[in-house]
Formats: sequence, C-alpha cells, structure tokens
Amino acid sequence: MAINLKPVDVAVVGLGAAGGVAVLPLSRAGLKVAGIEAGTWMDPNKFPADEMFNNVRGLVTTGTKVKGEIPTIRNGPDSPTRRGTAHPMMNAIGGTSIHYHAQSWRFNPWDFKARSEATKRYGASSIPKGTTLEDWPLTYDDLEPYYDLIEHEVGVAGKAGNILGKIDPKGNIFEGPRKREYPMPPLRDTDFTGLMTSAAKKLGWHPYRNPAAINSQPYRGRAACAYHGYCDRGGCHVSAKNSTAVSTIPEAMKTKNFKIFDMAHVTRVVAGDNGKVTGVLYIRSGKEYFQPAKVVLIASYTYENNRLLLLSKSKPYPKGLSNNHGQVGKHYFGHWDAQAGAGVSALFPFDINTWYGAIAQGVVVDDWADDNFDHSGLGFIGGACLHVYHEKHPIGSAAMGTYGRAPAWGSKWKAFVRENAGRSTSAYLQTTTFPYENTYLDLDPDVKDPLGDRVIRITQGPKENEPRAAAYAEAKMEEWFRAAGAIEVQRSGGGVGPGVSTHAFGGTRMGDNPDTNVVDKWGFSHEAPNLGILGGSVMGTNGARNPTQTLQALAWRTADHLVKNWKSIA
Amino acid sequence: MSEKKEARSVSRRTVIASAAFVPLSALTSAAQSVRSVFSPAQRRTLEAFVDRLVPKDELGPGAVECGAVDYIDRAMAEYLAAEKPSFLEGLAAVDAFATKAHGAALAELSPEKRDEVLTAMDNNTATGFPTARNYFNRVRRLTLEGMFSDPYYGGNKNFAGWDLIRYPGPRRAVAPEEQKMGVPIKPYRRSAYGGDHGH
Repeated sequence: MAINLKPVDVAVVGLGAAGGVAVLPLSRAGLKVAGIEAGTWMDPNKFPADEMFNNVRGLVTTGTKVKGEIPTIRNGPDSPTRRGTAHPMMNAIGGTSIHYHAQSWRFNPWDFKARSEATKRYGASSIPKGTTLEDWPLTYDDLEPYYDLIEHEVGVAGKAGNILGKIDPKGNIFEGPRKREYPMPPLRDTDFTGLMTSAAKKLGWHPYRNPAAINSQPYRGRAACAYHGYCDRGGCHVSAKNSTAVSTIPEAMKTKNFKIFDMAHVTRVVAGDNGKVTGVLYIRSGKEYFQPAKVVLIASYTYENNRLLLLSKSKPYPKGLSNNHGQVGKHYFGHWDAQAGAGVSALFPFDINTWYGAIAQGVVVDDWADDNFDHSGLGFIGGACLHVYHEKHPIGSAAMGTYGRAPAWGSKWKAFVRENAGRSTSAYLQTTTFPYENTYLDLDPDVKDPLGDRVIRITQGPKENEPRAAAYAEAKMEEWFRAAGAIEVQRSGGGVGPGVSTHAFGGTRMGDNPDTNVVDKWGFSHEAPNLGILGGSVMGTNGARNPTQTLQALAWRTADHLVKNWKSIA
Repeated sequence: MSEKKEARSVSRRTVIASAAFVPLSALTSAAQSVRSVFSPAQRRTLEAFVDRLVPKDELGPGAVECGAVDYIDRAMAEYLAAEKPSFLEGLAAVDAFATKAHGAALAELSPEKRDEVLTAMDNNTATGFPTARNYFNRVRRLTLEGMFSDPYYGGNKNFAGWDLIRYPGPRRAVAPEEQKMGVPIKPYRRSAYGGDHGH
C-alpha cells in the first residue's frame, strides 16, 4: 500500500519550464505547494564544455524516468511502429529549461486566431484540409501581462519592436504591442550577426536580434553569459541561462510554502467517485507514496501529460482522466522542420567564426512568418521565422555536407573540412504547423516502461500546408544567405515532419468547447474541475518559433486563476 | 572521473606494440587490464579502414594518428557496449568482402584496393553486410567522433583533430574579440576536463 503523505493545497507534477514557473505565484499567494519531480538538482559546476557529453550522448539529465518512456512512432495506423532512439527531454529540477536553447519569444497575435484571420483574409478554402485548427480561447492581449511577468521574473534579453503601438525597427516590427521594453538588451552583437543584419536590410527585410532567456548583463544576482559555445543541450556553468532551476524555483522556495519531492516518478493521478482528483501516486526509491492535494496541476512534457492522463483510469474516467470526451491525445502536432537539421545550410568564402556564443545569439527575420506577408495564391497559410545563429561544435562541424565540392572521406575531404568547417552554418526555420485528424497520441499497445506502464505512441499522417510553407521559407533563406555572400546554399526542399520532438504540442488542447478540447481557457479540465494542465500540451497552434515563453506565460496565468478562484476550484 | 582517467593513461597501442616481448599469458592479462574490445587482427582491420577515411598527409595526422581507433575501442568497451557485437561482426564482414573481392584482408591490401573496398561499402554494393552503407557510415561517424571529440575520450591526440578544422578549443568564457571575423583566434589546447590530455 502507498504511504500516505501530509495533504497539501496544490500538487504540481513536474518542475520544468512550466511547473517551475507556476509554483511561484501559488506559493507567493500562501498556498502550500508540493513540487513532485522525477529528477533532482544539477550542479552548475558539473556542466562541461563538451560536445560528446551534451550533444552526442545527451548526458545532461538526472533520474531515469525519461529514458524508460521514449515514445513510439508510426506513419499512419497501417504503418509499422518504431521506437524513438532517445527522449529529447530531460529530468531535473528545472527540467529541460536546463539544456534548452533559451529562445524566449512571444507568439504573434495571429497565432491565437489563425483560423478566423485566415478565413477572413483568404477565404474558408485557405484552411488546410483535415486540420482540427481552432482559434485559441484567449487572445494575445489576454496573455500579454503574463508574457511581461515571464520576461521579468525569469529574465529575458531582447529588443522591443512594438511598445504600446510605437514601432521600433531595431526590434521585431511584427510583434504584438507590449507594455514595456525587455529587462535586458539582446545578447551581444558580433561580426556574423552584423553581416546577416546588413544583408537582410539590403533585401528590404526587417531583421532583429532574437530574444533569449539568457542574461546579457548581470541580472538579479546571476552572472552574464560567458558565450563559451556549449549552451545547446548543455547546462550553463555560470547560471546565465535562466532555467526555472535558477529563477522562479529558488524564489518560490523563499516563501517557505513550497516543498520539492525529487526523484519521484508520478504514476497516476487519483480521482474520487465525484470526479474530482484527490492527489497523485508516485514511486521513490522503490516505495509508493500518495500525495493528497486539493488541486493537482500536471506539468510534465506533452508526451507525459497525455500519458499520465491516459494511464489514470478510474470509475468516473474509464478511458483515462479527463478523457470522457475522447479528446486526450487528439490535436497533437510538432514543429515542421524543427528536427533533424532539415532546412538550409550555407558556405561562405571566408571564416565566419560562429564557434562560440549560443544558439540564442542570433538574428531573425519574421517577414515570412505567421501572416506577415500576403499569402494569396501561395497555397498555404502560416510561415517560418528565419533564424541564423552562433554556436558550432567540432564533431558536428566536421560532419558537415560538402556541397558537392569534395567526397565525404579521404585526403580531399580532409582538405575540404580544413578550409570550410569554420565557414559553414545553417539556419533554423521553424514552420507553423497545425493539428490534423491524422496526427494524434495514444498508448502503445506493446511497448512499456520499466514499471510496466505503456508508453506514448505517435501516429502522424501526411500534410500539404506545412511542406509548402517550409519550402517557401527555405527559398527566402537562400536569398538571405546569398545576399550575405554565401557561395553555396543547400535546401531540403520542404523540410521534414517532426519525430519525437522537443517541440510537441496538443493532446490536452485548450478551448471553450469540451467536445473538442480537454481544458478550458484557464487551463483547467472540462471534466475534473480541480485538475489543471500546464505545458505545450494545452497549445492549439505553435507559432513559427520556440514555445517555451508562451507555455510559461500560460502556466503563470493558470496559477493566477487558481489563486483568484481558490474556493470555487478546490 | 579521475579514477577512470588514471586507468586509461596507458594507450592500448602501447600495450599491443610491446606485447611481442612478453609471454602469451601475460599478453592476455595485459590486454584484459585495459579491456580492449579488439583482437590484434580486428584492430588492424579497423586501423586500415579509418586510415583511408582520414589519411595522414601533408595536412597532418590522419584518423589513426589522432587516436580514433583508441576512441572507438574505449567507447565499445563502455558507453557503446551494446553495439559491440554488431560492430565486430561488421569488421569481420569487411575482411570477408575484401578477401572475396581482392583476395586478402583489408589491412593486407594496397591503399588503392582498400579505397575500392570502402567505396563499394559507401555505394552499398559490397556484399556480406546487412547494409554495407550503414556500416560504412557508422565507422565514419565514430571516426569523426574519435578525431574531433575532447581528448578526454581517448582520441584527438595532441588536439590534432581540432587543429585540422581550426576549432580554437573549449574555454570557460569567450571575449568579444574571440567572436570576430577575420581575426585569427589563438588555439586553446585544453580538455574541458582540465589538463592537455595529449598523449
């Protein structure tokens, strides 16, 4: 039998990017909060500047939960299922915000109402066939105060492009109006960011330095970025990357209302006969515990949020918690082009010296993203943000393609990489991707984790809108690289769909209609009133950019709603 | 970690090269003490392979001199232990194909003939493999890892891999001048784990 623990007000499952943020407003409001996390603390002194450790072997993690629950994937219900090779996320206090790129954006206002805006501008036929796209139940303006809180409480460096309607071309002119400037200026300029900025301006585009949850100057007692070039999949050795482990979680601990239960593998959320949840079961060091809570917020990664609900069957929820409408796992999607390096790479006739710095030390063009350009006659809606950046590692660089200029091995190859390893770079084109009927999550019937619980299975089907948008963006990216002096450019010609991705969305989508959404506009279950869901799994579109700041703003908003409506929800 | 480093300070090449001067029983125990996953014959085959992928030439040391085989040996003993059986089967298939196509094991062939064997694998026309190209790509990938990873892992000897591609080396902090174009950056020949790790 499970060991019963002392009841708390709120149990938060997972202390990553989302849960690590939500605990702060909850504990500040005086609620007793238990943070239940599969990993533990990581020591910044032990984050090495080592490509093998970070990128090749993926050793920046604690705990073993994530290794046992790698999803399976299949291309349609009649295709064979294969196991992902590795889980892209990690377990630790701070979660994957420890080793993420820390690109920290607000979504464009269009992302919140893509269906109605596209219908209005291009007609109903512009909506891709088979998509289950809905407008969000909230607007950019509703989320703006929470974006602002994240930028200041977590710490984001950037340059505003639209303060209360006043446009500043040094920032993103396409962004929605914001209340105020970022708390820190962008990461430092380099010759490469200067080169790419000038080239984009020459084309008449609107480049800007992308925002990053990395300190460009000392911030709230934490150091500024050291630009050493091991940020991607690496932890920050000087704590300049603002993971929740160094920002919101320590602040929550100061309140004395927040207690962390680490190395705890949550197996089920428990529901009573009245349909309300009563707490969570977890396993720690071989023992099973029950943590009673008045409210449960699940805040693990998209795959695990869906999995935990589907595994948590009970009398009121025979198909899984909050799944009486059969929507858990539906409306799942990832970022087209966000994986596997598909996209555009370029070769320059001079050393560009992008070895050091960070992926988030870059330049972005939004002219071909969202609805920032006229899509009439293009056959797609949405687009991609074009992002060029610093940070290259030696193995990855030596593994570069040779642009048809040399064979892949032998003395000629050796001469080629000697000259060109430091002259090549690639662009990151995150492309708007929509949810579709043919793409969803469920439990794999055969593959189980070491505890015997089934893992998530991804089913994905073909799409037309996304490869068209990606191919269009790739052509624009080539134009940009050529304008900057590139002598060779390689394009994938439409990108690839994501596999097991670090940008996974949906499955517990947020919306007003309980027939097509799992949570309401505040992030609370349409079925279990004291169950909230945090993270990318509630998102209904993914923008053309990294999702972390948006899911953090949503997490803060859900926590804020809970505080303000404690009596009615608990 | 420091304990592991100690155990690895003697390179396997040294042990094998000096083996001829000690009794067979001692050779076996010496080889086991550094846990080489390769027999001398397997090692010769792998060296003959990676030496053609990245040969020693006027640009400097090749993959063998950089310690790529030492890296692979250590990885197969530890982190990639699960891959060891299939990797060794692949080496046997290389020699079987070399023998079938050219009458001798890979290491006995001229550089030109060895290149023909590798080209057939790269083109996926070599026989006797589950997929010849996959094995070729795997050896190439591991060779790159051995040449260009931190010397801590047993390869990239004397930082020759990083010097080849002009990677200036990991450092704890990078100044604005070190992110400029057209200004040579002084190589910083240090392992991220301290020391030069040069062998």
